[in-house]
Amino acid sequence: MASELRVNTLKDAAGNNSIATSFVANGSAKSFINFNAATPAIRKSFNVSSLDDNGTGLFDVNFSSAMGDVNYTLTSGSGDTGSNVFHIAFAGDNTTPTAPATANYPLKLANAAGNAFVDVPFSMASVHGDLA
Amino acid sequence: MSEILVNKLTGTSTAGSILVTGEGNSTTTNLQQGLAKCWGHFEGSDATLDDSFNSASLTDNGTGDFSANFTNNMGSVSYTGSFQSDDASNTNASAFADSSIRIQTRNSVNTVADRDDTIYTTFGDLA
Repeated sequence: MASELRVNTLKDAAGNNSIATSFVANGSAKSFINFNAATPAIRKSFNVSSLDDNGTGLFDVNFSSAMGDVNYTLTSGSGDTGSNVFHIAFAGDNTTPTAPATANYPLKLANAAGNAFVDVPFSMASVHGDLA
Repeated sequence: MSEILVNKLTGTSTAGSILVTGEGNSTTTNLQQGLAKCWGHFEGSDATLDDSFNSASLTDNGTGDFSANFTNNMGSVSYTGSFQSDDASNTNASAFADSSIRIQTRNSVNTVADRDDTIYTTFGDLA
């Protein structure tokens, strides 16, 4: 049987740096992903079951364990070793879901000018919010 | 009110894996995986690191080109991150290493430039 500790507050041994366990649960990322959009291939992920490729620059990231509601947050980043820089938006377009769901969220990868979808070599996102 | 005083939490089955019950009171999430492994806030204009966690230093590689050096290395280069700067800027990672992450900042017309209030966060496996 797995051991389980039920506690409301964590402190260091000196009694400092107090943090409520509710902050631990709420402050922990519930999912993250780093993927190559061109392949596509997931390099590293947490609480991600799969990645749907809906076309150039259009993806759905599917959770292994669903979120409790659709009001979670997403932070994203991209990386490229070339001269171009890209954005990742928390949205799809008319052909993909345009809003987050409890089971997944859409990512749209656009070029720096925002006028074309692109497959970014390093696409990254992390999610904070409530698990189901 | 329950309270525990401890300096280090270690999993019993796997040292680097502790589960935390999620907000819905049923699903569990992995504590170590969910923790940010590094974050920082710096001013690109003078390459000043204002505040940070697990960032030993900031290297100014040139205009709009910085390396945030980790205190404790990541376990591989396959970690994830998010990046942002002030106003209408465009900030991204330009290279990943287990000991640092290189960050490129650009202005609103996509020209490499020093940007203030540049922030970064990384998630992934520590070494």
